Amino acid sequence: MTTTQENRWIGVSAPRREDAPLIRGRGRYIADIEPAGTVHMAILRSPYAHARINGIDTAAAEALDGVHCVLTADDLEGIGDFPTIWRLPGQKECTTPAFAPGKARYVGEPVAAVVADSRYLAEDALDLLDVDYEILDHVVDVEAALADGAPVINEDMGDNTIIEYTFPGINALGVAGDIDGAFEEADEIVSGRFKVGRYSGVALETRGHVAEWDDLRQTLTLHSGSQVASLLRTELAAALGIPETSVRILTPNIGGAFGNQWDRYPEDILVSLASMKLGRPVKWIEDRREALQATVHGREQLQEWQLAASSDGTVLGLKGRVLSDQGAHLHSVGIGPAWVTGAAAVNQYKIANYHCDVVGVATNKTPNSTFRGFGGPEAMFGIERMMDKTARRLGIDPAELRRRNMIQADEFPYFSPGGAVYDSGNYPAALEKALEAVEYDKVREEQQSLRDQGVYRGIGISSYIHVSGFGPSAILGILDYYTGGYEGSTVKIDPHGRATLYTGMIPMGQGTETTLAQVAADHLEIDIANVRVVWGDTDQTPYTGFGSAGSRSNVAAVAVIKAIEEIKAKAVRIGAGLLEADPDDVAYADGRISVKGAEEMRSLSLADVAQQAYWAHKLPEGDQPTLEATYVYDPANFTTACGTHVAVVDVDIDTGKIDWVKYVVVDDAGTIINPLLVEGQIHGALSNGLGGAMLEEFVYDEESGQLLSSTLMDYLVPSFTDLPDFEIHHLVTPSPHTEGGFKGMGEAGCFPAAGALANAVTDALSHLGVEADQTPVTPSRLWSLIDQAGG
Amino acid sequence: MAENMSVVINVNGAGRAVSVEPRKTLADAIREDLGLTGTHLGCEHGVCGACTILLDGEVVRSCLMLAVQADGAEITTIEGIADGDDLHPMQSAFSEYHGLQCGFCTPGMILAGIDVVSRNPDPSPQEIREEMGGNICRCTGYQKIVESVQAAAAVMSAEGGSA
Amino acid sequence: MKPAVFDYSAPESIAEALDLLAEHGSGAKVLAGGQSLVPMLNFRLARPAHLIDVNGVDSLSYISANGSLRIGAMTRLTAIGESGDVAGAHPVIPAAVAQIGHRAIRNRGTIGGSVAHNDPAAELPAVLMALDAEVTARSVDGERVIGMQDLIEDRLFETTLGDTELLTEIRIPAAAAGSTFGFQEFARRHGDFALAGVAAVITTDGSTITQAALGAFGGTHATRLPTAEAALVGAETGDAAFAAAGAGAAADFPATSDVHGTAEYRSHLINVLTVRALNDAAGQAGGGNG
Repeated sequence: MTTTQENRWIGVSAPRREDAPLIRGRGRYIADIEPAGTVHMAILRSPYAHARINGIDTAAAEALDGVHCVLTADDLEGIGDFPTIWRLPGQKECTTPAFAPGKARYVGEPVAAVVADSRYLAEDALDLLDVDYEILDHVVDVEAALADGAPVINEDMGDNTIIEYTFPGINALGVAGDIDGAFEEADEIVSGRFKVGRYSGVALETRGHVAEWDDLRQTLTLHSGSQVASLLRTELAAALGIPETSVRILTPNIGGAFGNQWDRYPEDILVSLASMKLGRPVKWIEDRREALQATVHGREQLQEWQLAASSDGTVLGLKGRVLSDQGAHLHSVGIGPAWVTGAAAVNQYKIANYHCDVVGVATNKTPNSTFRGFGGPEAMFGIERMMDKTARRLGIDPAELRRRNMIQADEFPYFSPGGAVYDSGNYPAALEKALEAVEYDKVREEQQSLRDQGVYRGIGISSYIHVSGFGPSAILGILDYYTGGYEGSTVKIDPHGRATLYTGMIPMGQGTETTLAQVAADHLEIDIANVRVVWGDTDQTPYTGFGSAGSRSNVAAVAVIKAIEEIKAKAVRIGAGLLEADPDDVAYADGRISVKGAEEMRSLSLADVAQQAYWAHKLPEGDQPTLEATYVYDPANFTTACGTHVAVVDVDIDTGKIDWVKYVVVDDAGTIINPLLVEGQIHGALSNGLGGAMLEEFVYDEESGQLLSSTLMDYLVPSFTDLPDFEIHHLVTPSPHTEGGFKGMGEAGCFPAAGALANAVTDALSHLGVEADQTPVTPSRLWSLIDQAGG
Repeated sequence: MAENMSVVINVNGAGRAVSVEPRKTLADAIREDLGLTGTHLGCEHGVCGACTILLDGEVVRSCLMLAVQADGAEITTIEGIADGDDLHPMQSAFSEYHGLQCGFCTPGMILAGIDVVSRNPDPSPQEIREEMGGNICRCTGYQKIVESVQAAAAVMSAEGGSA
Repeated sequence: MKPAVFDYSAPESIAEALDLLAEHGSGAKVLAGGQSLVPMLNFRLARPAHLIDVNGVDSLSYISANGSLRIGAMTRLTAIGESGDVAGAHPVIPAAVAQIGHRAIRNRGTIGGSVAHNDPAAELPAVLMALDAEVTARSVDGERVIGMQDLIEDRLFETTLGDTELLTEIRIPAAAAGSTFGFQEFARRHGDFALAGVAAVITTDGSTITQAALGAFGGTHATRLPTAEAALVGAETGDAAFAAAGAGAAADFPATSDVHGTAEYRSHLINVLTVRALNDAAGQAGGGNG
């Protein structure tokens, strides 16, 4: 028999059950799936940023041997678009069509598709498609798109402004700030203008689908790497005009998603439609060029902030304008990320007076949508740069300025003027711990002597909050976000006492299968080997309104705990009957059902009780046979992970090269389920964050409207030598309102990264007055700033 | 369409004959004709390293070779490095040290790691970072891959450098 | 991203390869290491009707250091980088090879392929220019020897090789006694094509520079840096001469803008890198790292 100690799994670095096939090359990713008779799709994409499509001659392509069909917009009769599910008040209507609607609005927008015996042949056929394009004026700059006379990208919108949303500075208690008063009262007003670069997840595995239409049963099975299979099923059925009951989504291994796979895409429809037309399996695997052009981009914003401060360093008010470059049309989540930027920009600071206008702007670029961080990193970049600018202006150390303005540990729940309720945390403690770990005072001291030797060392502090675990659903409703924020979990105990857990969550690298198994094993107090996790099949797994994301395990974990509570209660009722005891005298502990005080004598194993539950010979009145439970958990509030990062870098002023000296992380994500996996998530999110801070950028040519970063030689993702070793420390402030105290944390690492890097670079070059206000901070950009500053 | 050509490749120790168009990349032939889907395609232009295999014992990008070029060659893919059920130390280390998350880069990473250690039995973290720079991972931030390779190197040395 | 259709031949001798080139002419493309050509095939940026794969021509792979250094066109970069003969004759070559891509690329990539492809950001064409190398080109009509300068002129992604010619050998004259080198490049990531880079080979007579050869890459085409060289020859080694050479390099360098950096930045970089390379060559302290 196992002991209680052995059956505690939360907090343990349990080995990942995902790994066994993956390290042997036996993972099963979308490209590895090939049912008998599969044919292959390739997609013709617009080579122009903005062009009317006057006609497509498909004859030559259709005549090519081995080509099965060519699809164009003419084949979309009866096929709907995908909706934008976040529809804020005043937002103009916008959807995602399967093909460019009469005109192409960005380089990469689908124009036609070919299905052939092989991908090679399908690409041959693409070469034979003859499209009559009428090239239109384009605009790829957000300010130019707002100027008078700019080309209008979506005529039905009238202009390129999709929405102007104002954060009025009313906090969640309905208390309005006095932004004008704050600025009148200020001793100093500090301004900043920030360009947050356009980049994205760029998962190593590109997107793909295999669609199998069964003509006789009238069912569609779609193998897809979507992070949110339930929503895809709902929306795909609607777009195709078939009953949702006819659609099954199967999810294989996913080679990285980073939020990009949260959205619905044109190809989801196209591959399904082709399979329905041909009555055979159709496979589409995005190639890398397509992935860079046509998987959603993220981040790009132009921010202007003004901060009102008193001379003692108190931040009195913050006002700003965020122009979000949405690309050609709103994608699944609308301007969601930019809205989050507006909501989160006050960060960890007690800024009572706040005003922010968020403007969603259309440009002839790939849609800007879901990407790890979802507006939070953009917000953190702006406010953390503003805090450093303010510190410099006031002559206060940047750590001290943060100290003076942070929300204190006893001030939770804190009602932010951005509209969020922060649940818990200890911001000053995280800051102090980070300063101590980096040896702040010592580095500051060394800084001057190093500078005298020509070594330009800088320290960048960046604190963050990460509002995660989106829910409760009622709040999503208030935000006009048309999905739910709950997670369901079904747990079934088999007659031998082993558990199978069904979740709508989808592992895509973050170890969800392992962590949910840990939670289940911990709460059932059984060996983790006796827990199986089933995911990735909409015919079996619970509906999820929000789907899988790095920061959702906390919500899913509570659903598991709640379902297990029901199972344990039922096991106690059944066990009490078998033990001939009063249920009140019986308890569930250590995977056994026992009479309290007589555990050695009168005790049953979970298997004993489960067997009885399946025989159902002697069930308590009112209990149904079998031993299973389903719980759908709608969170009581968002959770707020938080922390502080400190970056130390050296800048080569001759080349603009940035060298790492140190990178310290202090994070607080509440109770940690698996420390090893949490570290992995922080590292990975930092890689995303620092990638966008230094290297990654989708660059568009103003003249031609072309995406210049359309290979991995032009779009640079971080490699081994670009990232430092990260030193990680944890604080644990359990979330007060979630079972288990967990907080979503999978994205947190990317929140403060760009701010930390930019603050460190700016600090290194403070003698020149260089300010790193645009990401990525490339060597060319940085040298140009140094050069302009006379360095 | 050009005529198919017959190609014989020694794959993970066994001779295999396939018939391919000259334009077919070695990566596609490994996946489609040899059925070894552990070799992944991440970019098809030689930047990401997901398709890394060993060709006559040396690391190469299988997306940058044609299948017909491998006629008569010996190749090792991720499926060929374990000894039956006994994992290669590099495989075990990646799992133990959390050197993988989504697993898509992992086959290429493991082969690249084996190559590094075969040339340098005791690599420093910096050497590992420089030598493996041709393999991209989007999930891990690399630190745990470096730890995995170092740990595997120690095991491989202890085992007498056998790979 | 799959190649378009092509016919394929794999000759096993130079004569066979030359016959194929004569037969197919401009419709043919020679496949060497394939590390640049295959990506172009995959992107369908190159669509040859016929591919002549010379990887099976064993007689094109050799290193011979008898007087001048002779390297067969199909010699792999890894072999060149690890060759004691090459390091002994021209240590700047392994220093440059180490910066080319990554191990997997160098295991396939060849010196002849690199020269014939003539990517303006590639290291070897510029290095070979600085070393006054010549290449041998053969066709069914015979053989000719072409200086690197004449092979590349101001071209990018092409050379003065004829459609039916095969580059077979690179010949590098012996280094001047006592010559030293510096090699510096700046890339955004380790192993990437450089934004700018320079190979400098200098010979001194005590403290006076008697010979200087500088080849630069990362501009619109590989090039020597004549103004920089002129600033060096006859000058005393040291900061003043090196600074003048750096400025000369910036004036000579055909800088261009792209997503990685502006032309202005690249001109500045070549200046900085030239000074650093010369400091390395002079064995002086303060070379820094690129």
